[in-house]
Amino acid sequence: MFSIIFTWLIVAWGALSCIYMLRCAWTRFPKRDVDADDVIPFLYPVDLSLAESLLDPAAEFGFRWKMGPLQFREAQRKRMRLYLEVTRRMAHNAKVLVQFADAEKNSCDPRRASLASILQERAIEVRLYSALTGIKLRFWLLLRADILNSMPALAHLRTAGEIDGLQTYGALKTAAAAAFMKLPPDELASLTRNL
Amino acid sequence: MNILEFVPSCLLVVLLGVLIRRRALVTLPGFFAYAAFAVAADIARFLTHGNQRTYYPTYWITEAVYDLLGILVMYEVLRTVLGSLTRAWWARLIFPAVLVLGIGMSIVRANVVPSRLSGLEFYIAVGEIAVRFVQVFVFAGLVTLVPVVGLRWRQYPFGISTGFGLYATVMLLTTTKFSDFGTRFKLLWGWTSLVAYSVAVLIWIWFFSVPQKAETPNPELSAPSPGELEQYKDALRRMR
Repeated sequence: MFSIIFTWLIVAWGALSCIYMLRCAWTRFPKRDVDADDVIPFLYPVDLSLAESLLDPAAEFGFRWKMGPLQFREAQRKRMRLYLEVTRRMAHNAKVLVQFADAEKNSCDPRRASLASILQERAIEVRLYSALTGIKLRFWLLLRADILNSMPALAHLRTAGEIDGLQTYGALKTAAAAAFMKLPPDELASLTRNL
Repeated sequence: MNILEFVPSCLLVVLLGVLIRRRALVTLPGFFAYAAFAVAADIARFLTHGNQRTYYPTYWITEAVYDLLGILVMYEVLRTVLGSLTRAWWARLIFPAVLVLGIGMSIVRANVVPSRLSGLEFYIAVGEIAVRFVQVFVFAGLVTLVPVVGLRWRQYPFGISTGFGLYATVMLLTTTKFSDFGTRFKLLWGWTSLVAYSVAVLIWIWFFSVPQKAETPNPELSAPSPGELEQYKDALRRMR
């Protein structure tokens, strides 16, 4: 019985995937290439120092020490929502860069193609980290994990799926700087500001 | 033999031509080997069709090789896609996990649904179902993962997995549901298999009809000029 149910679930998953692919083929192919002009204005600034402070276990311990349980719970929920916003921005920027790198990988210049490959790898890691962290944070906020648990520690979110979020985002910024090296100085400055 | 039965073979010849044109032997050798073998297997089956004594072993040997090549191609697809996805250690465990799950599902299914086959043929049939499970897992897994990471679908590995995924989904559905039709099962199974495989080959031809540059980084890249390096360092300084 279990195997039949499982087989049907797999068949349904496969069938849904086929329908999704058909929709992709119908609506999205061929997708236009994204160039540098489609990147910089679309990036959301990410405050990495804010992210660092949110993930700092010492700061969290300080809050816990100074505040009462109810106050701390409320503050921690606010911190969770804030970090969710940071990861959302990281995911968005990474998606924009993945699409740019996709187009750049077809470049005739092998160096540009190689830099685009590295940029895409880092961006995909950031997307994976953001997805895993986002699921965890939403789960905590939805189930009011603060009531069930003493309070989930934000410091535990530094790594997800063996990916160090802030370190990987730093690597993504470095890869982006390398990939956009040929930009005029003012545009490069915009990139550094927005990323 | 019905003339329509030659449609997948003709499409496979076209696919092989497209793969040669796109130099798939270099970028995706597993899939190229699969397509080349499929053409050779169809010729061997056609030549031995009139003789029961030679057709029977030819059929089962080619089925066994199809199973092995099916697994190899799925490994190649996952390695190509996941190889650039993450450096995390768990990424290396995905393919073995999918393989174990597929084989496990096939063995459980073989115990639940009795087979008329025995000996080596039984194991080849079990292997074939396991490969179908693996193909659906890989395809559905990629469909789930790709929107998350924001990759573009029009890439060769995704095209390969789409073709196999569609065919494997239809074949799993066929073997699960069509057995209810009793004696009409063989006829329905034959036609569904023919149509699904033809569609899968058409998907591969469509994906490979567009050129795609190899993504392997060139080891002989020229070093950036001192001016470029200075600009790069300046950008990095402003980022931190």
